[in-house]
Amino acid sequence: MLGFISARKVGLDDPLRLRRAESTRRLLSLELNHGRDVERIHGNGVNCLDIEAVEGRYMLSGGADGVIVIYDLENYSGKLQYTCKAVGTVGRCEMFAHKFSVETVQWYPFDTGMFISSSFDKTMKVWDSETLKPAERFMFDGNVYCHHMSPIARKHSLVAVGTKNPKLQLCDLKSGSRIHVLQGHRAEILSVRWSPRNEHILATASADSTVRLWDVRRASGSLFTLDQHNGDKSKAAAEAVNTAHNGRVNGLCFSGDGLYLITMGTDDRMRLWNSGTGENTLVNYGKVSNESRKGLKFTVSSGCSLDCVFVPCGSSVAVYALHSGELVTTLRGHYNNVDCCDFHPDYQELYTGGKDCNVLAWVPALRPPDVEEERKDGVGPVSVNPAFEDAWSSEED
Amino acid sequence: MDLAQRDKLSELVEELTTSGQQQLNQEKMKEIKKICKLSNDYVDHVYYSVMAQLDKEHAEIRLSAFQIASELFSRSHQFRIRLVDNFQEFLELTVETDSDQPLPPPKEVAKKLKISAIKTIQSWQATYGSAYKKLALGYHFLKQVKNVDFNDVQARTVAERSRENERQRRMERIYRDRVETAAKEMEESYQEIETTVTEMKSCLELLLPDEFGLSDQTAAGIPNSLSLGDAALVGLEQASRHRFEDELPWSGQSLSAEEALWKEMKENRGNNERREEEDEKKCLDPRMEEKHSPETIETVVMEGSALKTNQDCEEKEVDRDEETEMNDVPYEDVFIRNSGLISHSYTLNINVESDVQVKETEDNEAVVSTLIDIHRLITTKHLPAVQSWVQVFTKSGPEQQQLLRRALHLKITLESLLKKEKLLHIDYKTRIRKVTRATAEGEEDDEDEDEDDFEEVPEKEGFEPHIPDHLREEYGLEPSPSTSAALTKPKAPLKRPAPLVFPMTSSPFAARRMTRRLEEERDPTCAAATLHLLKGQLRHCTGPRVSSDPPNTTEDSNVAGSTSSVGDKAPDAPIVPFGLDLYYWGQKQPSAGKIIKSTSQHRFWVPCEVDEETENQEVLAESRSRYISFPGTFTPVSHHCNAPLGNGKLCPRQDRIKCPFHGVIVPRDAHGQPSRAEDREREAREDMRRKEMHPDWQDVELMQDIEAATGEDLGSQRLLGKGKGRGKGKGKGKSKQKYPNLSDLKKSADTSRSRLENKVFNKSSMRRVTAVMNKIDSRKHEKFSNQFNYALN
Repeated sequence: MLGFISARKVGLDDPLRLRRAESTRRLLSLELNHGRDVERIHGNGVNCLDIEAVEGRYMLSGGADGVIVIYDLENYSGKLQYTCKAVGTVGRCEMFAHKFSVETVQWYPFDTGMFISSSFDKTMKVWDSETLKPAERFMFDGNVYCHHMSPIARKHSLVAVGTKNPKLQLCDLKSGSRIHVLQGHRAEILSVRWSPRNEHILATASADSTVRLWDVRRASGSLFTLDQHNGDKSKAAAEAVNTAHNGRVNGLCFSGDGLYLITMGTDDRMRLWNSGTGENTLVNYGKVSNESRKGLKFTVSSGCSLDCVFVPCGSSVAVYALHSGELVTTLRGHYNNVDCCDFHPDYQELYTGGKDCNVLAWVPALRPPDVEEERKDGVGPVSVNPAFEDAWSSEED
Repeated sequence: MDLAQRDKLSELVEELTTSGQQQLNQEKMKEIKKICKLSNDYVDHVYYSVMAQLDKEHAEIRLSAFQIASELFSRSHQFRIRLVDNFQEFLELTVETDSDQPLPPPKEVAKKLKISAIKTIQSWQATYGSAYKKLALGYHFLKQVKNVDFNDVQARTVAERSRENERQRRMERIYRDRVETAAKEMEESYQEIETTVTEMKSCLELLLPDEFGLSDQTAAGIPNSLSLGDAALVGLEQASRHRFEDELPWSGQSLSAEEALWKEMKENRGNNERREEEDEKKCLDPRMEEKHSPETIETVVMEGSALKTNQDCEEKEVDRDEETEMNDVPYEDVFIRNSGLISHSYTLNINVESDVQVKETEDNEAVVSTLIDIHRLITTKHLPAVQSWVQVFTKSGPEQQQLLRRALHLKITLESLLKKEKLLHIDYKTRIRKVTRATAEGEEDDEDEDEDDFEEVPEKEGFEPHIPDHLREEYGLEPSPSTSAALTKPKAPLKRPAPLVFPMTSSPFAARRMTRRLEEERDPTCAAATLHLLKGQLRHCTGPRVSSDPPNTTEDSNVAGSTSSVGDKAPDAPIVPFGLDLYYWGQKQPSAGKIIKSTSQHRFWVPCEVDEETENQEVLAESRSRYISFPGTFTPVSHHCNAPLGNGKLCPRQDRIKCPFHGVIVPRDAHGQPSRAEDREREAREDMRRKEMHPDWQDVELMQDIEAATGEDLGSQRLLGKGKGRGKGKGKGKSKQKYPNLSDLKKSADTSRSRLENKVFNKSSMRRVTAVMNKIDSRKHEKFSNQFNYALN
């Protein structure tokens, strides 16, 4: 650490390097810290989380009972102990709230004044985050599984919506109408993501076990379909179409730089693809248990030298190294299935929500104080909490 | 870390968890703590072994492991860290948070484990919740997601509670349905019950005109003591009162003289005055007056309270009509003549007994039979229905108050009516006898009467007028020569003790009534006897009415006895349907066994030759003989097997020929030894043979003990496990040896159901059944293979 700092001072190193090293260290030391709580608002499972990219201060969460909560993550109290307050709540009884489970929430990428939510009540709503009232409402024919808005788009403001209908809907926030339909899938679309690298590139994952990449400027069809066998005819001969997985594909995520695409299937596999060519990189993550019937929300860290994928697995969150496929660690804290997770890129914090109604914050562990300091202190940090002390009674000798 | 210490720790944990005790052994626990105190490594080791034990599929092991964990949790920080780290699994194993992993049997222990785990977790949360985040999370998870109510001792989970709710709701629905149907039923039959009630009321009214609301008062059990005038001349009064008693014709109400005498004078004078007058009027019947000799009165006085003074059963036939006719006689004269009293200013106390008796006569027969019908209707139909409604409405809760009140009202009305009717003591006997002999429908009435008799069984002491045949042996009587009860009746009274000894207190009315009447008839001094005699003679003359007479008198019973002895033989001879064989009994049959056989089966192209007769052996045999199936009668086995048992008793089995345990049943003496010599010999031989097979020293229990002590196999399993498979027995023994203190989970599975299942679903029987089924199936296919719809399936 000191070496990094001095090298940075002298100018030997790229400033990015120190940053990478430190954030990697923090990433690997994630733990359930009792110093950070998230206020318990949800009375039912938490389905989705989203941290806004502008300030990194507010987090959205959507519950299985239609509740949407906005949390303030920033700790201005100056104390170690901090509970993330809910600054806004769309309760279940409120007039505009979703009737059924909220499947996806997302901040408008360029401003915290607006966010979008979609639900199983066949609607997608665009909310004003000040008044917590919907500014726009889109109705669909079937359950809305997912939607996504491009984080980098400057030329368009399209929201891609995956519903029970195999056709992908494109909604334009400018006009407030559904302007486009992308045809190609043969089953419901469980996950959709815009590329963080190219504002017109879109990836969709469907229950027909295919993953397609689209260019929204070309409406006639998809660019290509991901093929798990990389065009190996002998293996792929059985199927007429290229498949990404052997089951439903229900998770989709671009890596932070947009060069790679990660998919999850109900065949308990996770695959890493080259998003430019659609080539299967054949990284072996082992068995990644995936029992979700809906879309699975997993996330990828960014800005570290060792990027990691956080995947909900049952009641724990598995952390895999992105490129080596190695299981780094398992975060155990939830008491029921984990449904979603989101990574805070600035503070290297992970937030997870599960069916046990909890939103847990995984915070990097503090650096253990140096030995010399402790000696000088005299009191010792052990005496911080009497509950940590052993209580052997003397009579047992 | 010392390896020996480590091993000892594992050993201690295993011993503690497999002890099967509800509480931990404190000594061993202390030892564990002592070792754990040395280093955190030991704590880790204990943690792992405890978790391993917690994972076992036995609630007792889990409970003990949990107790160890809770002991250490409060001591060691390291243990807390470990446990909280893996708190999900811990909860799954102790509190059953995962519905896919229920707690293992035995059930009670599992329940106890769960309750104590929930309590402990609550206390942990109180103490350490702030310091260990996951503990707090787990606590909130239990509280909010699993909805565990920490104050609820039952510690029911959501599923259990919802199941409970569901059950409750279902029950409510059922109750509601029931209430609805009951209400509907009540609505429908309310009218009917009402009419029945009014009918019954009017019947009772007809039988016993309730002019003074008397029956209500008597029903309430208040004796009416009536007074008139001032002072009383007791002697005179007594005489006159006895007359009244004897002569009151209208109801058979008995006025007990003695009781009335000492009763205090009482209320409602005006009413009583009227009453008194009426009573006196009624007593003016001259015919009755004549019949009553002074002796009669004397007898009555002597018998006093022992016999309730209602004597003349027969005289009650006198009707009200007659009474009213008699009222024409100048009142005053008659009064003086009857009582010898000159003035009216005597005090007269009349006590109306609750014992009302109504005798059935030809005049009120119709009313009585209606009454019987109504009685039956009420007791068999209305009252049970009303009772069930009341039950339903009571169960259904407070919202049915209105209905409940109505039903209760109905019930009370019906019951009070029945009570009233019972108080009347209507004497059905004569009528029923008559009817049974006369018509077939009387059988039903007979049954009804039988039921009544069942309710009112007389006390055993004294005599029983009728001893059933199957009980005669028990009573030391020789079996009756005939099955008819008529013959036994005259015999029985001879055995009875003196009349005054009769128990009068609690014996039911009917029996008392009957015995009293019998007594009176046998008493030559009693008017009833002479009257009865006269009547009997009268009826003899009139011929067909003989049958209507109760068979109590000696003449009658003799007649009945003789007739029955003639018909005595009848049941022995079989009754066979009339047939050809009887028709030609003792003669040769002309055309026996010959049938006409037409050679051509054609319908219209008939050959000209005559049909020829052929002899058929079967038909011949049929016409000459007949088969009579004789099932015989069941004679119960009276002997016991009586072979000596191991416990010193004799075998109590009652098989007819062969005892399944001791072979053919032979006569034996009191010690169980066969009384015949050859049997004794045979048994001795068998004994010898058995001893040769298993010598005496090969006692199975002893051998097992030795085996357990020495560890050598002496072959006790071989001797023991003849029926059972040997390997299975051994395996069981081994597992028992391993943890002898734990309750055996397999034992609980050994229920009658499982045994039956083993029998029914075992391989060979299943195979047999499938074979038979296949055979049936294939037969069907062969039979109908030409028909496509059978061939298809």
